[in-house]
Amino acid sequence: MSPIIVGPLVAAGLSAFLALVIALIDRVVNDYGEVTIDINGGKRSYTVRGGSPLLGTLAAEGLFVPSACGGRGSCGACKVRVLSDVGPHLPTEMPYLNPEEVSQNVRLSCQIKLKKNIDIELPEELFSVKKFSSTVESIRELTYDIKEVLFKLDEPKAIEFVAGQYIQIVVPPYGEIKESVQRAYSMSSRPRDDGHVELLVRLVPGGIATTWVHKYLKVGQKVELVGPFGDFQVHDTPAAMLCVAGGSGMAPFKSMFYEMKENNSFPDKEIWYFFGARTTRDMFYLDELRQLEKDWPRFHFVAALSEPKADEAWQGDTGLITDVLDKYIKEKIGKDKGLEGYLCGSPGMINACINVMTKNGVAERDIYFDKFA
Amino acid sequence: MKNTEAEKNALERMRPGHITAQGFLGTDTRGLADIVEADIEELRRLGVDPDEAAARLELLRDEGQKGLGEPISVGKRWVVSTGDARGMLPCPWNDGLYHKNSIRVQEQDGALVLIYSDLSIHLLKEHRFLQGRGSPFRLEPSILAQLLRDE
Repeated sequence: MSPIIVGPLVAAGLSAFLALVIALIDRVVNDYGEVTIDINGGKRSYTVRGGSPLLGTLAAEGLFVPSACGGRGSCGACKVRVLSDVGPHLPTEMPYLNPEEVSQNVRLSCQIKLKKNIDIELPEELFSVKKFSSTVESIRELTYDIKEVLFKLDEPKAIEFVAGQYIQIVVPPYGEIKESVQRAYSMSSRPRDDGHVELLVRLVPGGIATTWVHKYLKVGQKVELVGPFGDFQVHDTPAAMLCVAGGSGMAPFKSMFYEMKENNSFPDKEIWYFFGARTTRDMFYLDELRQLEKDWPRFHFVAALSEPKADEAWQGDTGLITDVLDKYIKEKIGKDKGLEGYLCGSPGMINACINVMTKNGVAERDIYFDKFA
Repeated sequence: MKNTEAEKNALERMRPGHITAQGFLGTDTRGLADIVEADIEELRRLGVDPDEAAARLELLRDEGQKGLGEPISVGKRWVVSTGDARGMLPCPWNDGLYHKNSIRVQEQDGALVLIYSDLSIHLLKEHRFLQGRGSPFRLEPSILAQLLRDE
């Protein structure tokens, strides 16, 4: 046989042999046996095979900690507080933790390898989080950059959630995107329709998940969803609700309003919904919400355009939604039962609305929000 | 041009799947030092001061945020939209953590578009890095020049 062929063959054989030896050593040296994960002082406990990251191990047991990057340590979302010793913080964790979190031994669960028994703290709401397989039932264009996507749940077939909560879409690799990621969206469907999940997705420039939804997702496609998450929900008080949103921030409110109307829940609450956009091109669900206002006397819908065009013949309010909100609180909304704020949108929008509300006497503790942050 | 050790580490973190799924390099195959050097030279040729450009991007972001997430006109020429997502992004040089956002600046007639983030501004100000060619968040020197001329 020619030495030109023998050389590479010998090198390939040696490489394969060394890889096998390394794999065998890894199995022996890094065999941590069984380890126990204790959660919230014994409220849940799992005995699992050690050696894998905490995030993935918990997911395999059906306990889903929020994660946007799929465990690559690039989103900082999968934080858990660890009460036992798992060694010092890793350099990969530090960029995502503030000094208080470091002092409390908050860790990124995707970066902690299970080598011995571990005690952790988790919000108990995560105990009810599940992974769902679903099929896209419909996709509707609401504006040039917002789509309404309806998923039919295949397995499990039903979801239990509170209006206002969010869910994560598992985005598979596509195009130049080589790894799966997860992104969170508020559910706009009603909890009563527990066989479906509806989301409103606005196209974000350069956004991985929103690009996938807008350019690649098709009716009939199978999609995994993980949820529900979040504590944004209607509070059981007689205070009037001041709800403010723009764009896809509409989602949790749509879920709340229709759920409240159908169940006649929180019957003492008046609801004021302020929805802002630049032009009519950015508006959606206008007819539907105006009809809801006619059918449901305690619901008041205030749509405002910040830059209406002369040829649009806009009949509603004009100006930034914060200015419109300020005017209505001062002139039109009764305060005898108190006021509560409900906000969904960017941190800038939420801060601006909190400013208007507190200046008009709404206590900051009575302002609830789902900040995209 | 040779990369420093810090540049080599940063370059590794800029690849797809480390900090962001798409990374910071786009389709650019040049070394980090070469990308930075070439863009600094191009900015100089166009008469663009990087710090002035960064200040202009911050101003447009601040004006755009007045739209509270909806598009808003800034001056007569530009429409700015600001968007936010859940989460934070670390700088590839590990010297800061930035809110995950995007700012889209578009000419009223739609001809010129620039997309950037708080992290993009930091990369320009502190590292003179405009991102690789083909990156969705690349700060194209010619567009930065247009933004400054419009002041």
